[in-house]
Amino acid sequence: MQQFVSVVFNSLLAAGLYATMAYGLAVIYGVMRIINLAHAGVMMLGAYVTFALFTRFSLDPFLGLVVVAPLFFVFGVVLYRLFGKRMAGSGTAPSIESLLLLFGVWLVLQNAAYVVWTGDTQSILTSYTMKSIKIAGVRVGVVSVFVFLASLISLVFLNVLLTRTYLGKAIRAVTQNRDAARLSGVNADRISAIAFGLGTAFAGIAGAMFSTLMAFTPDFGRSFLLKAFCIIVLGGMESVTGVATGALVLALLENGLAAYTTVPTSLQDAVSFALLFVALVALPRGLPGLLARFERRSTR
Amino acid sequence: MKVFRSVLWTAPALFVLAAPSFLDRGTLNDLWSLAFAVTLASAWNLLGGFAGQVSLGYSAFLGIGAYTTVLLSLRGFDPFLTLPLGAIIAAIFSVAIGLPAFRLRGPYFTIATIGVGEAVRVCAASVSFTGGSSGIRMPAGSFDFNRNYLSMVILAILTVALAAYVKRSAFGRALAAIKQDIDAAEALGVNSTRFKLAAHALSAAVVAVAGSLYAINFQYIAPGSVFDFQLSLSIVLMPIIGGVGSVVGPVLGALIVSTLQIKLLSMPVLRDSFLFIYGGLLIFVMLYEPKGLVGIGRRLWALGAATFRSKGGIVDAA
Repeated sequence: MQQFVSVVFNSLLAAGLYATMAYGLAVIYGVMRIINLAHAGVMMLGAYVTFALFTRFSLDPFLGLVVVAPLFFVFGVVLYRLFGKRMAGSGTAPSIESLLLLFGVWLVLQNAAYVVWTGDTQSILTSYTMKSIKIAGVRVGVVSVFVFLASLISLVFLNVLLTRTYLGKAIRAVTQNRDAARLSGVNADRISAIAFGLGTAFAGIAGAMFSTLMAFTPDFGRSFLLKAFCIIVLGGMESVTGVATGALVLALLENGLAAYTTVPTSLQDAVSFALLFVALVALPRGLPGLLARFERRSTR
Repeated sequence: MKVFRSVLWTAPALFVLAAPSFLDRGTLNDLWSLAFAVTLASAWNLLGGFAGQVSLGYSAFLGIGAYTTVLLSLRGFDPFLTLPLGAIIAAIFSVAIGLPAFRLRGPYFTIATIGVGEAVRVCAASVSFTGGSSGIRMPAGSFDFNRNYLSMVILAILTVALAAYVKRSAFGRALAAIKQDIDAAEALGVNSTRFKLAAHALSAAVVAVAGSLYAINFQYIAPGSVFDFQLSLSIVLMPIIGGVGSVVGPVLGALIVSTLQIKLLSMPVLRDSFLFIYGGLLIFVMLYEPKGLVGIGRRLWALGAATFRSKGGIVDAA
């Protein structure tokens, strides 16, 4: 029982971060119908910027988010302005050209990190990194709790932005139907730039939080990118709650496998990649689609 | 024109086949790498170029070929006899992956293949019979570079010939129809899944043979070398730079990328910037000419022809 509580608790904490990471990807996909492979590079950059702020200015990584979030928003808008011509969503299906283009951006970012920070493994050690507290009889690291709270704040912020403001309404309108949104006077190009900035900012935030939890190199980000894909495919791309559900399912699966089976830790990543594959093929509309299918069947 | 074209193809082929008699070992090593690159690029192009299904998981097939050869050689088989077996295993694996994955279209297929490639690499690194992440060595035995060189070159030539043959065949036309508009192709009676599976299996088999030859030549493989994501990346990059969907494009791309790798990256200043070069090339090609060098060449050709014709017109009028 103790172990079960611990698994659920740790999954919940991990899910917050996973959802933050995945939501950036989902916003960009929704508005522009592009699959942003550069997301992994931006996460890596977020970790390194936090690292630089921490070592140069001894800025606490969580206070650093206040710098990281706007910085990466601007970075995302600049990226959109540079490559928007190829990225602007045309039609309903994402194009392979935009995917490869952003793949190129990822490689360039990765190389930039190698040049600036070398390929050495880096990590952020704060005064509270090793501390832990006991919640409901489960011992958890202070950092994971902070990460969870920061993720929760970002997700609530995003949810309010999307549901309560004009900007959010415009973003959702472009997501649903780009042409109809433009006919009703929404500047789709500007909304796309803002959405790309938002998505990039979320990737930066996620990267910054990863940097407090684990050691990283410029190559960091690839396996997390695949996990983010896995989450948005599972959760559907429409809502914050869907993404959060997908994140929780993945985190529960990972933590559960680690606790109850003898699958070696090195194979755990393969599990989430396999899940991605299965989810893509078997659940094209994610868990919400599956639920809808069941509901329809039961009402019939 | 036809004669000119066949000379253009056969002259380099004859040159590399005869090269061992007059070139030194270092240059031959570079030519081996070039032939390896041409094989991978042309094989990827069968599915990625002709049928437009961009896969980022080809290192899985390379690794399957390489591991089959090493593991069987360690049990006393002749390395060259293991080539067909590696190819068959890779082809079967490609069908097993393709059956579900080809239900996905465009970028979704691409993402699924990243997942497959990574999963295979992680598995190879963590199970014991592959030697884990530290890799595995070929049994000490006869190492004959000339034989390795010739087999690689012959594989490269056969692959390019296969690509040229496929492009002209009914099979190639079906793949082109799938690339242009999969729904229209289906409506015309093209069984798209079957053709995609066939192209996938064919290219996987060729890549697996290349992987086996890699293992035979380097005598040592590890998940970090044959299952590397970087490798999957350069396999895709070469045809894209050269021009996807044509026969000559991947060959040109392989020529450029492997020359870059050999010459430029031997300079210490540039060794740390090959991702800049790869990424920059990818961005450049996608922004300005998604058809690659072949596309640029065609544009120049059209431009030249147009000027020539307009000049001729002036002469006629006078």
